[in-house]
Amino acid sequence: MTTTHYAGAFGNEIGKGLRQLLSGGRELAIQMLTFPVFYLLVVLFMGRGRLLPELLLPTLLGMVALTFIHEQVNRVFWSYQGDIQSGVLEQTYLTPLPSVVVVLGRQVAAAVSALPTAAAVLAAGYLAVTVNDGGFPVTAGVLVPLAAIAVGTAGLSLVICGLTLVYQRIEIIPQVSVAVYAVAGGTLVPLTAMPDWTATAARLLVPIAPGVEAMRDMVIGGDPLTALGSGWGLGWLLLQPILILVIGVVLFARLERVAKKRGTLGRY
Amino acid sequence: MNTPAIEITGLTKTYRPGGEPAVDDLSLTVEPGTVIGFLGPNGAGKTTTIKIAAGLLSATAGTVRLNGHDVAARRSAAMAQFGAVLEGSRNVYWTLTAWQNLIYFGRLKGMTRAAARSRATALLTELDLWERRDDTVGGFSRGMQQKVAIAAALIADPAIVLLDEPTLGLDVAATRTVKNWIAELSNDRGKTVLLTTHQLDVVEELCDRVAVIRAGRIATDLPTGELLAGFRLRDTYEVHVEGHPDLPVLPAGFTATAEADTTAITGRVADPREVYDLIDLLRARGLVLRSLTQSQPGIEDVFLTLVGDARHG
Repeated sequence: MTTTHYAGAFGNEIGKGLRQLLSGGRELAIQMLTFPVFYLLVVLFMGRGRLLPELLLPTLLGMVALTFIHEQVNRVFWSYQGDIQSGVLEQTYLTPLPSVVVVLGRQVAAAVSALPTAAAVLAAGYLAVTVNDGGFPVTAGVLVPLAAIAVGTAGLSLVICGLTLVYQRIEIIPQVSVAVYAVAGGTLVPLTAMPDWTATAARLLVPIAPGVEAMRDMVIGGDPLTALGSGWGLGWLLLQPILILVIGVVLFARLERVAKKRGTLGRY
Repeated sequence: MNTPAIEITGLTKTYRPGGEPAVDDLSLTVEPGTVIGFLGPNGAGKTTTIKIAAGLLSATAGTVRLNGHDVAARRSAAMAQFGAVLEGSRNVYWTLTAWQNLIYFGRLKGMTRAAARSRATALLTELDLWERRDDTVGGFSRGMQQKVAIAAALIADPAIVLLDEPTLGLDVAATRTVKNWIAELSNDRGKTVLLTTHQLDVVEELCDRVAVIRAGRIATDLPTGELLAGFRLRDTYEVHVEGHPDLPVLPAGFTATAEADTTAITGRVADPREVYDLIDLLRARGLVLRSLTQSQPGIEDVFLTLVGDARHG
């Protein structure tokens, strides 16, 4: 097997994920409608019934990240869960290629599948901000924290998917983890407004926290990427998601071995 | 000497430390081009053996080699030899079309897109699914879904094919199609087929050899003809007498069962003269004979006897 085979199978896995996304077009349309509404409702409640310009943009940055992590984690979790339930997961292991090719393909497919809903929230936010006469400063540097969020989320997804291979019915874990990140990830309340120990824990452990903090610094504070005003700076913004991804890869590999030992790949 | 297609040596699997082994020091060798029936009652260790052979489950001890490649140590080379339809599984994605499934599984097995397309075209045509290639598999009948699953297992043209209950839930016509395909795989294409099924007529019709597993070990491993011949040394005779009379003490090996308006006396005997003795006995009582039939044991009788022996021994 050559690199070409690996690349082909990797692209194949992404293609399958996207075809499945399109086959669930109605579900996607509903999500693209409800998540922006949820964002506007959050701002409305926080603004005591008004869409306050000073809340629209900061909350939007958090909500885009939260929507992304929610979608990616859930999509990749349910892709494993569904394949285990139906039994087709075992077929995906009958390949001469290393399973990492399939696993990474699923992660990328989930990340791409998460984009339309996150983009819908962004579009709604952009509209709301501009209608309320607010500025929407766009900088290319924001792509760095966005990439950091995607990489960190992939690490978290790997941990959850590894657990799914062994324990199967753990729907509550992705649900609770995303709910915790909504609170502790600085999505609604900035980390700087939290107690120090909470902010420290969030910056260490929550995949989206440094990214959301950096985006706020850049978009609202006007900070350059190399001199972020809050948080632990560019170094940690880049290092944290890589560490989470490495932990995810190691844990997934171990849990996959456990699943093969216990015979849980095809058992539900 | 040819490398065996499947070579299982000293395979043992224990799910819990100190627990009963699901597979216990099992060894089995299958030559290339053989269709082997792998039979056993529920819980005998069939599925565990199959999943270890497929690399889906790790063994506690022992090895499985596919065309000489160790599944645990050289997984990539071993899996390149192998295609499987697993029992009770969907095996393919129901949300994708038949065509998309075959291309997906072809690419997953390391084929180029062009090779996968060419092979998918041939397989879908052979299985009469070409016209439905762009329909999602979820909308297919059970038989058509099974055809797609078999086509997906064969997409990379593997030398070894594992079919776990391939005819389960299929109607008569679909069963016939699948059976013809299995026969063709072996006879015309030289594939090695490991077939597990509870439909023993399928085994009798298709398999060159039968291996029966019980309590995690191979109980019997013989060519199908030899296995049946061994049992056919003793034919089964059934004598029907009119009504439900008081019967004399029957010769050893015969038992009586009351039916609607007759009594059936059944026994398996090695020497047909024992049947004449029975008839003489019945005639001496003045009983009216309605019929006498002789039958040879089928694979089902053999299987039940082997499993029964295991349960009692």
